[in-house]
Amino acid sequence: MKHSTAVDSLRRGRSRERLLKGLLGAASMSLALTYVVALAHLILRGGAKLVSFTSYAYPVSDIEGEGVMRFVVAACVFGAVAWGASLIARALLERLYGSDRRVNTVSQLFVASVALLGALLLRDRLPRFLVSFPSETTAGGGVGPEMFNTIYFAVLSTTFTLPIGVGAAVYLARFARSPRYVSALRTALDTLASLPSIVYGLFGFLVFVVEMKAGYSLFAGAFVLSLLNLPLVVGVTEESLHAVPRELEDASLALGATQVETVRHVTLPYAWPGILSALVLSIGRVFAESAPLIMTAGTTVSRTNAYSLSPFRGGETLAVHLWYVNSSGLSPDKADVSAGTAAVLIALIALTNMLAARLALYGGALGSRLTKATR
Amino acid sequence: MQQVIAQTPEDSLQRRVRLAPRSRWPDALVRVFVKACGGFVLATTLLLIGFLARTGLVGMKEVGIWPLLFGSRWKPEDQLYGGLPLVLGTFVSALGAAVIGATPAVLAAVWLTEFAPAPVRSSYRRLMEIAAAVPSVVYGWLALVHLVPLIGTLAHAIYGADSDVGGEGLASSAVLLGVMIAPTVLLLSVDALARVPHNLREASAALGASPWQTAFQVVMPHAWRGLLVAVFFGFARAAGETMAVQMVIGGARVIPANLFRPTTTISSQIVMDMQNARPGTPGNNALFSMALILLVVSVAVVLVMRTLSRPQVRG
Repeated sequence: MKHSTAVDSLRRGRSRERLLKGLLGAASMSLALTYVVALAHLILRGGAKLVSFTSYAYPVSDIEGEGVMRFVVAACVFGAVAWGASLIARALLERLYGSDRRVNTVSQLFVASVALLGALLLRDRLPRFLVSFPSETTAGGGVGPEMFNTIYFAVLSTTFTLPIGVGAAVYLARFARSPRYVSALRTALDTLASLPSIVYGLFGFLVFVVEMKAGYSLFAGAFVLSLLNLPLVVGVTEESLHAVPRELEDASLALGATQVETVRHVTLPYAWPGILSALVLSIGRVFAESAPLIMTAGTTVSRTNAYSLSPFRGGETLAVHLWYVNSSGLSPDKADVSAGTAAVLIALIALTNMLAARLALYGGALGSRLTKATR
Repeated sequence: MQQVIAQTPEDSLQRRVRLAPRSRWPDALVRVFVKACGGFVLATTLLLIGFLARTGLVGMKEVGIWPLLFGSRWKPEDQLYGGLPLVLGTFVSALGAAVIGATPAVLAAVWLTEFAPAPVRSSYRRLMEIAAAVPSVVYGWLALVHLVPLIGTLAHAIYGADSDVGGEGLASSAVLLGVMIAPTVLLLSVDALARVPHNLREASAALGASPWQTAFQVVMPHAWRGLLVAVFFGFARAAGETMAVQMVIGGARVIPANLFRPTTTISSQIVMDMQNARPGTPGNNALFSMALILLVVSVAVVLVMRTLSRPQVRG
């Protein structure tokens, strides 16, 4: 009697648990569904904007650098399409015939030649949205300068972040001597990591716009963004430095290399994939951030120097443009423009991640060569 | 090839040396450089806090800290700098985001680590990584186009068709921020749950506990620090978010009567006013005071998070 009630209650509990488990699973899946729907909406809606070739009489503008910019955009677009195609083709070929070194070379050649040919022959047949100027009041504005600025920001801020971030991480992981200095540095990094991005924006505004009276500039924006990224880059790099096997470094030291040589030839190559992923994360934040850029680099693009490489001009990025179009834009097609801008932004982020995955492979090869050498 | 390698010992040594050439970086220079990098980080942090504190303290002296925190009207045109609407807006929408976004995220993380089949687990993670990489402005735009009308309909259903409510307000911004932080909180929670040693689960199962009991009475309590850090992180990100919130919150500088009336937050008000207020004026200084408050609060949050997560790291 007693036994049977125990079993009964157990059984009842079990069915209730099964129900709860099902409910939890359904809730989790519906959470995921939210993002699937949002992403699908972005891709479909934005993709439709990107491939609409309406009234494509090319406006031959006299803005300096536009020809080069069209060439680069065409190379990127066709290169990306060819890369996607080659990945699919390679997957199929490998399933059918097994892997072959020649396939690699052929596919690289294919991607490069399609990119070059597309850039040479089809650079005036690009989707208008990608290369034309934004427009405040009329329909049909594009995001050409915004795209250029976004990528330029990524390059500029990486040139600040990479040496300083990796240097500080190497110091913390390998050369740190004074504990007080180290703990001060860690507190500083934690503080930087905790600040909302708007605070960085205000700092940049105070220093560059108010104190130095330099006006809005890409330089100020890139500086602020690299500050914002420093804690992330230092943290991830330091973690990957700590993951380097001790025996490798000991072996290098035993062979007579100094500590600096060991870091240069053993530690950094081994930690390369980790450093790269830190950089990709930081570039992703450069693409996504808007508030600090509004206060340091402004919300406009100028017709006279939209494609200039000078970092001392103002200019907005895709993320800032997306906000600006919706909050103060007057153009009748702002829903379309927003969708297209969002899609370009997402595509840029995806491309960066894919490129980094390739680069990490090469770096990883270096690392594995080291492992083999010590075996 | 074989012959080249198999030669005298000196030769093979020569090859080694050629493989790894002597670095031309002088030792001392590199040491100084990496230390200087650390010094740069330290100096800029101090500079950042110093600059903000200098301007912000001027503003606090001009307006007074009491009105900045508890004054009920923000109207720089009339020299009114009551920060309560801003502080309330920031706090309520971040808290709402933690409830709406972080709770399901933590529960989904438990489901994912304890119950989900392996293929679902990896693709779910992948999806959340992508969702976490989507810029917040994009979420803001999606919310502006789809969420605000939806919340507006809901508001009219609750308060009657001709009441003065709409989609712009705290409700929209809380849902938007919740959707925005959920992927990050979920990924951090999954990491925290994965750090729970496996033998705890086995011991629990050996004592006769069902997987459900193991998940909620053994795994979750053991990982609570990590989960709390994840939620805190999400809260901090929601409180600091600027542009996406600015797009859906309406921008009225008053304390709203309910969740469906427009209001504002600290960060979005800073962005909006900074374009009008001239540097050096009381209005501008008051903005920096608000930013200083934001800075102090977020540093405090980080200190709490650090004390919470430190034993976790050591274990």
